[in-house]
Amino acid sequence: MTPPTPAPPPPPPPLEIHDLTVTYHRRPVLWGVDLAVPAGKLVGIIGPNGAGKSTLIKACMGVVPIAGGWVRIFGSPLSRAHRRVGYVPQRESVDWDFPVSVMDVVLMGRYGKIGLFRRPSRADRDIARACLEKVGMLPYANRQIANLSGGQQQRVFLARALAQESDLYFMDEPFAGVDAATEAAIVTLLHELRDRGCTILVVHHDLPTARNYFDMLLLLNLRRVAFGPTDEVFTYELLQKTYGGRLTILSEVAEAVRQHGAPIP
Amino acid sequence: MKPRQPTALLAFALLVVFAVLLAPAAEAAKIGELTGNSVRDQALRFLTLRDPAVRYALAGSMLLGISCGLLGAFLVVRRLALVGDALSHAVLPGVAAGFLWSQTKDPFAIFVGAVIAGLLGTLVVEGIKQTTRLKEDAALGLVLAGFYAVGICMVTMIQRLPTGAKSGIDKFLFGQAAAIGPRDLQLMAVVAVLATATVLVFYKELLVASFDAAFARSIGYPVRVIHYSLMLLLAFSVVSALQAVGVVLVSAMLITPAAAAYLLTDRMHRMLLYAAVIGLVSGALGCFLSFLGSNLPTGPLMVLSGSALFTAAFLFASRHGVVTRWWNHRSSASRVRRENTLKTVYRILEDRKFHGEGVSLRELAERRRETIEDANRQARDLVRHGLATFHPADLCVLLTPVGRQRAIELVRNHRLWELYLTHAAHIPADHVHEDAERIEHVLGEDVVRELERRLNYADTDPHGRPIPTPNAIQAAGPVETTRRPPPGYGL
Amino acid sequence: MNLSTLIPTFDVQSVVIDPWTTDFSEKGWILLMGFLTSVACGWVGQHLLLRRMALMGDAISHSILPGLATAFLVASFLFGQRSESSHAARDSSVMLIGAIGAGWITTLLIGLIHRRSRIKQDAAIGIVFATLFAIGVVLITLFADHVDLDADCVLYGEIGFVPFQETLRAFGLTLGPVPVARMAVVTLLTVLATIFFYKELVISSFDAGLATSLGIHAPTVHLLLMGWLSVVVVSAFESVGAILVIAMLIVPGATAALIVSRLPSLFTLIVLHSAISSVAGLHLALWLDCSIAGAMVVAGCFLFTLAWATHALLRARDQRHLIAQPLPTPTPL
Repeated sequence: MTPPTPAPPPPPPPLEIHDLTVTYHRRPVLWGVDLAVPAGKLVGIIGPNGAGKSTLIKACMGVVPIAGGWVRIFGSPLSRAHRRVGYVPQRESVDWDFPVSVMDVVLMGRYGKIGLFRRPSRADRDIARACLEKVGMLPYANRQIANLSGGQQQRVFLARALAQESDLYFMDEPFAGVDAATEAAIVTLLHELRDRGCTILVVHHDLPTARNYFDMLLLLNLRRVAFGPTDEVFTYELLQKTYGGRLTILSEVAEAVRQHGAPIP
Repeated sequence: MKPRQPTALLAFALLVVFAVLLAPAAEAAKIGELTGNSVRDQALRFLTLRDPAVRYALAGSMLLGISCGLLGAFLVVRRLALVGDALSHAVLPGVAAGFLWSQTKDPFAIFVGAVIAGLLGTLVVEGIKQTTRLKEDAALGLVLAGFYAVGICMVTMIQRLPTGAKSGIDKFLFGQAAAIGPRDLQLMAVVAVLATATVLVFYKELLVASFDAAFARSIGYPVRVIHYSLMLLLAFSVVSALQAVGVVLVSAMLITPAAAAYLLTDRMHRMLLYAAVIGLVSGALGCFLSFLGSNLPTGPLMVLSGSALFTAAFLFASRHGVVTRWWNHRSSASRVRRENTLKTVYRILEDRKFHGEGVSLRELAERRRETIEDANRQARDLVRHGLATFHPADLCVLLTPVGRQRAIELVRNHRLWELYLTHAAHIPADHVHEDAERIEHVLGEDVVRELERRLNYADTDPHGRPIPTPNAIQAAGPVETTRRPPPGYGL
Repeated sequence: MNLSTLIPTFDVQSVVIDPWTTDFSEKGWILLMGFLTSVACGWVGQHLLLRRMALMGDAISHSILPGLATAFLVASFLFGQRSESSHAARDSSVMLIGAIGAGWITTLLIGLIHRRSRIKQDAAIGIVFATLFAIGVVLITLFADHVDLDADCVLYGEIGFVPFQETLRAFGLTLGPVPVARMAVVTLLTVLATIFFYKELVISSFDAGLATSLGIHAPTVHLLLMGWLSVVVVSAFESVGAILVIAMLIVPGATAALIVSRLPSLFTLIVLHSAISSVAGLHLALWLDCSIAGAMVVAGCFLFTLAWATHALLRARDQRHLIAQPLPTPTPL
């Protein structure tokens, strides 16, 4: 009798973080964060200012150096998994006077798929156009990016992320400074992506809407306070722990660490 | 978005041909020995390209203009202009070292020395920024001044050597295109070809790494490698330009043509092309001017040519130029004033229930609370634009059909907008007039249609005055215009 | 490569001993000039560093040149050629007017380009200073006999000539060479201004909006600072030259910033740095027979490198400590 073939191992989660520590000028900004995000979920990252929310995303994307711990994307380090990851950075991170058009920016989303010496093909352009259409920005394809409103700029970034055709998306404050109509459109789009099986992590700043938009929430303040389905995690006690008090004990310790000049680089 | 393939290839091929043709040659006379008698003679002598020295100098100047323009474009859009400045000062010790090594003005030795010094400078800047809390400007300033000081010490030491006085190293401070020899030209050609080729082949990588480095890293581009390769190319470009422009001013050749291009276009690939062309022209012009006045160093003249072109772009660029914007603003301001006068004339007639066609200047002046002279001026402006006629006998203004039509349009726009603000935006009726005064001039036809639709084709404004219908507008106009009224109004 | 002819032998007598003894009447002035210049530039430069405008110092020191050239040209047409009647006070005031004018024009032009177009500030600075400098070089080359500036001197100055300049006589005393006296006044004024206007300068560097709302109009402070920078730069010009002045603006402050963090200590350390680099620089120049000003700057940079290396080593040592020690576990809330 042949032994039963073992079930194939479960696929690795889209994002797995273990004991992640990130410092900035000798002060820890993220401390020992553990996280395993299941596939097909829309996750909101919330916490007070300076809690390390943007830093978490940047550490996952390799934009800031990691002082301790590791990050795995679909079981591999970022350097081998970048084709499956899409990134929408903060709007302030870009110089909007750069001489490129809306179409140019969205085409950049295809660069990860195009090789070193090749140019974007007709198929790439069609995909870019489709993505622009999806966010309602196709009429603006040839406009230079400075001549757009805040909401329109955000949509262009989103279209670029869509053009990447990724399975895991990181978005850093996509709703900052956008009008209500754009916000609703973005949320609809995110839900569509999620329904298609993508996993999306969004840094978000507004508590009331966080409860409605996201399937799961990560409460972050220097370290992970809680992570789980929104209904379970969005409680008074946990929110108090995340936001409450100007200096949590951990912040005081972090400050003491910095002042005594000891160990953290 | 990308340079069109055939044009790019053609440009590239031309460049290669150009470089190859001019590179090898026999010995040439120094330009300094070619002083002519008059400026006109000198100019002719230059333009006929009779002397090999002139050919070298001109070719070299144009080539360096191209390389510096192309690479400078990236500096400008990445806000690294002062990095270019620091780099160009930091190469001086390398140049001096090259001199010491080869004992002569060997371009290869100088090139290697300068590139090493330049790269070292870049690394030191990065090192300082990362290991201390000194900011970018301090780090750049330190490297700029520190390396330059070391270079100056070496230069003065070399000049006191027995062979030093004739070394020609002092020419590296302000530049002398006349000193470009065939080997220098080869070097400049290679650098120009390399710069153009890199920009063409790696256009999209350079573009995304410059625009959004975080995103570039996230899609797997080696952003650091791209940055340092750009710095390396920049070092090459700086070194190739050193002899003609001099250490002190070479950063201007990097920045000024590219800045002028930045004002002329909204697309990166066109900006690169314009920067290369403007750089080429500045180089050639500087070389020409330097030849005219034989004791003038070339560097400053190239820089001044570039700055002149920049100033022209700054003032007159079609979208971003200061003078063009002022002109547009001014002409739209006068149009607004004219339309306001027109509207006032119509309002006066309306209040009179359209008895009599003429509006006197005094009525106009009273209504608009201005002097008779101003009213007169406005009236003449209306006449000039065919919107009214003027009866000097009784100082009356009468609207032409075209003027009347435009007046009714304006009144309609104004009242529609007021209605919209009070109904849809719930702004109190006494607040809306100012807003409407501004908006009425810029509402386009499609927006007006939309407004009318939203307001259910209302016929009175918040103050109870009638909103003119398109029928009325058409009826007022000259008989030739045929405009169909939109559906919903019937006939 | 004949290094042997390049680097002279190190003769202890002439390099180290003589300057303090037999040659002191000459070398002493050089030392003093170097020290005063470095202190004045260092203090003004520290203000620039606080505002992250170190490269404005670069810009203004280049664009001083056309200011000086124009001022001398105008003066020579008004008062006759320089060789006829040279008057220290008149020369100084001509230089000052030219310098301050050039400094303000630079600041205004940079602001104009930067605000009225989409050119960013860094490119605006680069364009303006290079254009003005180019104009200056063309002016001094074309009108060489009217303008007593020499291109080489512009670039690296000649501090060695300072003792041989005309001496200043006042109150019946011989006060020393004119450039030194000038520099001493400028240095003293710089120190006093920094002390008296300390609050205003610091607030407007740190938070311009707050300063303006408190009645300290930040743009005016900026303009005045640029004007004073021009004065300091032009006073240093003659001995140190246009480009080395930039080093004296930045290097002392940067070195001090690696050692201390409090602002008053920074200013004190700058004085110390100036003293050491002037002395060491003089000895270095005497040994290598090179530009004295250049050597002083090189000595200053050497001090910076020392400070940087020490700083980096200390950081590395801290990092090794980190790996050895366990992280404090955060107490549960």
